[in-house]
Amino acid sequence: MSASTATPITSRLALRRRRRPRSALARNRGRTGLVLALPAFALVALLLGIPILQAVYYSMTRWDGLVSTWVGPSTYVDQLKNPIFWRVLENNGLLLLSVPVAIVIPLGIAALLHERVFGWRFFRSIYFLPTAVSWVVIGMVSARFFAQQGTLNDLLASVGLGSVRTDFLSGEYTALLAVAITFVWSMVGTNTIIFLTGLATIDPSLHEAAKVDGAGALRIFWHITFPLLKRFVQFSFVMTVISAFTALFSLIFVMTGGGPGYGTTTLEFFVYQTAFAKGEFGTGALLGVVLFVIMAVIGAAQLKLLRSDD
Amino acid sequence: MARVTVSVPAGPASASAESATARLPGLRRRRPVRMHRVLVLLLMLAIALVMIYPFYFMIDTSFRTQDQFQSGHGHSLSSWGKLTSALPVGQQLTNSMIVCVLSILIILAVSTMAGFAFAKLRFTGATPIFLAIIAALLIPMQSIIIPAYVNISKLNLLTSYAGAVLVYAALGTPFATFLMTAYFRGLPDELIEAAVVDGLGYGRVFARVALPLAVPAIVTVTVLQFIQIWDDLLVGLLFLQNPDERTITVGLGALSAGRVTDIPVLMAGSLVSAIPAVLVYLVFQRYLISGLTAGIGK
Repeated sequence: MSASTATPITSRLALRRRRRPRSALARNRGRTGLVLALPAFALVALLLGIPILQAVYYSMTRWDGLVSTWVGPSTYVDQLKNPIFWRVLENNGLLLLSVPVAIVIPLGIAALLHERVFGWRFFRSIYFLPTAVSWVVIGMVSARFFAQQGTLNDLLASVGLGSVRTDFLSGEYTALLAVAITFVWSMVGTNTIIFLTGLATIDPSLHEAAKVDGAGALRIFWHITFPLLKRFVQFSFVMTVISAFTALFSLIFVMTGGGPGYGTTTLEFFVYQTAFAKGEFGTGALLGVVLFVIMAVIGAAQLKLLRSDD
Repeated sequence: MARVTVSVPAGPASASAESATARLPGLRRRRPVRMHRVLVLLLMLAIALVMIYPFYFMIDTSFRTQDQFQSGHGHSLSSWGKLTSALPVGQQLTNSMIVCVLSILIILAVSTMAGFAFAKLRFTGATPIFLAIIAALLIPMQSIIIPAYVNISKLNLLTSYAGAVLVYAALGTPFATFLMTAYFRGLPDELIEAAVVDGLGYGRVFARVALPLAVPAIVTVTVLQFIQIWDDLLVGLLFLQNPDERTITVGLGALSAGRVTDIPVLMAGSLVSAIPAVLVYLVFQRYLISGLTAGIGK
C-alpha cells in the first residue's frame, strides 16, 4: 500500500488501468463467495445460533413454552442446590468411566485386524456394523439382553452363577452399568475403524526394525505403535466423550426411560424430561445450556491439545 | 500393497508356500507363525459373535410368537403377520425416506456452495463466517431443541415434514461444510483460475467444474447424514407431531415406550427399520469411514 502511494501519479494510473479487469474479477469473486456462503450461514444461524441464545435467555426465566417470566441468574443457583441435578451429573460422570474401556478394547481389536489374517475385511465390516444401526434398535435388543429372563442371566446360569439372576434394569446402578456396556459395545466398531486407519499410516518397516532388534509384540505396541497412534487415540477419546454426553438419548429412552428413579437419567435425557415431560421449559433450557458449556470446554480442550502437538 | 496380496490366499498350502519363499532361513518358525494366525482368527471370530449377536437375536425372535419366545421353543411367521397392524411399516419407511432425502438435499446444497466459497473464493468475512459455522459443531442437539421446538411450533411446522427437515438440515450443515471446505481446498487453484480465464463466472465454475469433482465428498456427506437422520429419534419425536408423518425409528421408539409386550413383533419392526441403513452402510462403507476419520486432520 505504502509502495503504491510513493509511485508517481502517472504510473499509478497505469497500474490502476492494468488492474481494473482483475479487481473487477476479484470483486465478482468476493460477491460470489458471500452469496454462496450465505445459505449455510443463515441455516446454522437461524436454527442453531439463535436458539442457543434463546436458551441462554430462557434459562433465566420461568417458561412453559408460551409465557415466560424473568427470574434472573438465580435460576442457576437454584439448580445447583437441586440434588437431582447432581444425581444426574453423577450418572454422566459414571458413564465417563466407560470411555477408557471403549478405547482400549478397540485398540486391541484394531491390532488384531491389522495382522490382516484371512477374512479381516469381512470381520472389519461385521465389527463396524453397529454404526449403521439406530440406538432405538440397539436399546430394544439390549433391554432384552439384560432382562430377568434375558440372555445375560442365561449365560450366567450356564456357568453356574444362576443364583445371581436379576433384572439388571431394575437396579439403579446395574441399569446404568447395562447402559454403559451397551454404549461401549456400540462404540467398538467406530473406534476400531479410527485406530485401523491410524495403524495404516504407520510405516511397517518401523515394526520390522524393532522385531529384528528383538522387541516383543507388547513392547513394540507400547513404544512404537501407541505413540504414533496418539493423535487417533485423542480423536476417538474426544468423540467417545462427546457421544457419552450427547448421543445416548434414544438408548436411554428405549432401554430404561431414565429409570429406575433417576438411575440412568443423564444430563441430555434430563433436558428432555424436564421440558417435555414436566413442561418446565425454562429449567430444560438451563440444563441444555449447562450441557453446551460442558461440550464447549471439552471442545476447547481438544483444540488446545491439537495445537500443543504442532 | 504386498501385505494385502499376501493375506488373501488362505489355504494352508499357499500360506506355507508364502512363508517358504518369503523367509527361507526361517523355515523353522513356520509353525509358530501359523499357530499365531489361527489364534488371531479365533479371537476375531469370538468378537464377531459378540457384535453379530443382536442381529441373530432380532431375526430369531421375530420368527417366534410371544409364547414361543418365552418358552424358547418353536418358530412361526405370525409375528411378521402382526407387524403391519402394530406399526404402519410402509408408511413410516416412506416417511423416513422423504425426511432423509429432503434434509440431505438441503445439506448438500448449502454445504457444497459454502465449502467452495470458503476454499476458493477469498472474500471479506470468509474466516469469521467459516468459524461461526464450524463452532456450531459444538452445540449439542439437546441444548437448542427446546427453543427450536417453540420457534417451529410458532411457525406451525410441527405437523409437516418441514420442521424436522429444517432441524436435521441445520444439524448436519456444520460438519458437511467442514468436509466440503477441506475437500475443495484439495483442488488446485489453477483449475479454478483457468476456468475463470476461459470466461466462466465463479458461479458457473462452481457448478460445472468444482461440483462434478466433489462427488466423493458428496457421497460421504450423503452416507453419513442418511444413517444419522434415518437412525434419529429425538428430533423426529418432537418435530413430527403428526403420527402419519412419523419416521420408522420414531414409530418404533414410540411403540417400545408404549409398553408393548409383544417382543417378537418389536423385533420384526426393529429389523425392518435397520435394514435400509445397514444396506447403505454395506454398499458405501468406504465413504462412511472416510467421513468418520475426516475430523482427525493431518
